[in-house]
Amino acid sequence: MIKVSNLSKKFGDLAVLKDISFEVAKGEIVVIIGPSGTGKSTLLRCLNYLETPTTGQIHIGNATIDAVSHKVKEVTALRQQSSFVFQNYSLFANKTALQNVAESLITVWKIPTQEALATAKAILIKVGLKDKLDVYPSQLSGGQQQRVGIARAMAAKGEVILFDEPTSALDPEWVDEVLAVMKQLAIEKQTMIVVTHEMQFAKEVADRVIFMEDGFIVEQGSPKEVFDNPKHERTKAFVKRALKQH
Amino acid sequence: MQSSFDLQYIIELMPILFKYLGVTMEMALWGFLFALILALGLALVRVFKIAFIQHLASLYISFFRGTPLLVQLFLLYYGFPQFMPIFIGMDAFTAAIIGLSLHFSAYMAESIRAAILGIDKSQMEACLSLGMTRLQAMKRVILPQASRVATPSLMNYFIDMIKSTSLAFTLGVAEIMAKAQMEAASSFKFFESFLAVAVIYWVVVIFFTRIQHLLEKRLNKAY
Ligand SMILES: Nc1ncnc2c1ncn2[C@@H]1O[C@H](COP(=O)(O)OP(=O)(O)OP(=O)(O)O)[C@@H](O)[C@H]1O
Ligand SMILES: [Mg+2]
Repeated sequence: MIKVSNLSKKFGDLAVLKDISFEVAKGEIVVIIGPSGTGKSTLLRCLNYLETPTTGQIHIGNATIDAVSHKVKEVTALRQQSSFVFQNYSLFANKTALQNVAESLITVWKIPTQEALATAKAILIKVGLKDKLDVYPSQLSGGQQQRVGIARAMAAKGEVILFDEPTSALDPEWVDEVLAVMKQLAIEKQTMIVVTHEMQFAKEVADRVIFMEDGFIVEQGSPKEVFDNPKHERTKAFVKRALKQH
Repeated sequence: MQSSFDLQYIIELMPILFKYLGVTMEMALWGFLFALILALGLALVRVFKIAFIQHLASLYISFFRGTPLLVQLFLLYYGFPQFMPIFIGMDAFTAAIIGLSLHFSAYMAESIRAAILGIDKSQMEACLSLGMTRLQAMKRVILPQASRVATPSLMNYFIDMIKSTSLAFTLGVAEIMAKAQMEAASSFKFFESFLAVAVIYWVVVIFFTRIQHLLEKRLNKAY
């Protein structure tokens, strides 16, 4: 359902992604781990064309795009196949929780406003924000804002939800409620690609873990394989350090 | 020619001048409306960095900020008809509105652009990630927030524009300043006439400054 082929990305002379290829099946939960600055965020952003890759092909759902010949229409089509959960939430400050979630239904999918709001409401109830529907982001806690962020991504009708360190900006007390929402999504077989430092979450929820370093995919496999039996020295070193911290 | 201050004259002149305030406000309101539309267009061209046109926009802004409004009005009203026949029939009132719009749009474009750039870029990214176009994002998310930021400075430009309409008398527009000038010339009471017109401008500006404050208060409450 998702196929990434020979993806590379340079910022000027700095090669951040180097020939990345992988596939993700429908309903699969993939967690990407790796040291800071190895290109995890850049990879996710490329999947959404928030960064334009230097070379490579991306195929999601029924959209295919080649970096070398990409057109604006293809970019929009690709973005409609996925949605993004940002580390800093990036909610629309001028819209209530409900309006944030309904926005893509109204503007992108042209669903009548009343219907869109009803759908948005159902999703917000699902993430436990029943009594925050008409509240503006500035009045919400970090955990609540990120749950709105996830609800907004759920509403967008994409094939896959991309999470870039969704809990990193949160005070520790709010982390669990956000992870709980993500676990629920995993149970429902929502396809997800998650960049995170939450190793426990990766172990419990991931179908597959990808370890990235220096712009390469070094190793990938089930959580058991990657955490308990890493093949590469670099994976071993990283996993050892990462698990010790938690 | 020595004469004492004539308060009675001022009191009688006020209602006469007041009748011409309509022309002044009409110029200011039309001028502001057109300036706002132009400024928004210019700001978007520069924010989206639209190839080629963005350089024209920069040139336009530089010119209208870099030369005096009076010179621009003269160029438009007395200069252009020499080469461009469509300007020949243009009346002074229209020319003044066009001149004010062009001049103020350059300033307003910059404050709108600054307001847009001040909105956290990640909200634009969030829009794009949902599959919205840049224009949709602007319309639904960025501009509503930017307009809140820009409103105080745009209101300042509006107030500035009201005062600047007094230059239109140099083109022969029969507005409040022109009337004061005429009255002064026939009565020789220059001080009283110009003081009267100054007071009227002052009261109008105080009125709109109040509105500006009320507006800001309301906007600050919104979210
Ligand atoms: N817009 C940009 N311009 C230039 N360099 C960039 C840009 N964005 C990222 N980089 C560089 O690309 C490299 C990879 O960054 P990226 O944010 O993808 O890493 P990451 O794996 O997500 O790290 P972290 O775990 O700290 O979030 C870094 O060296 C970073 O400085
Ligand atoms: Mg990152």
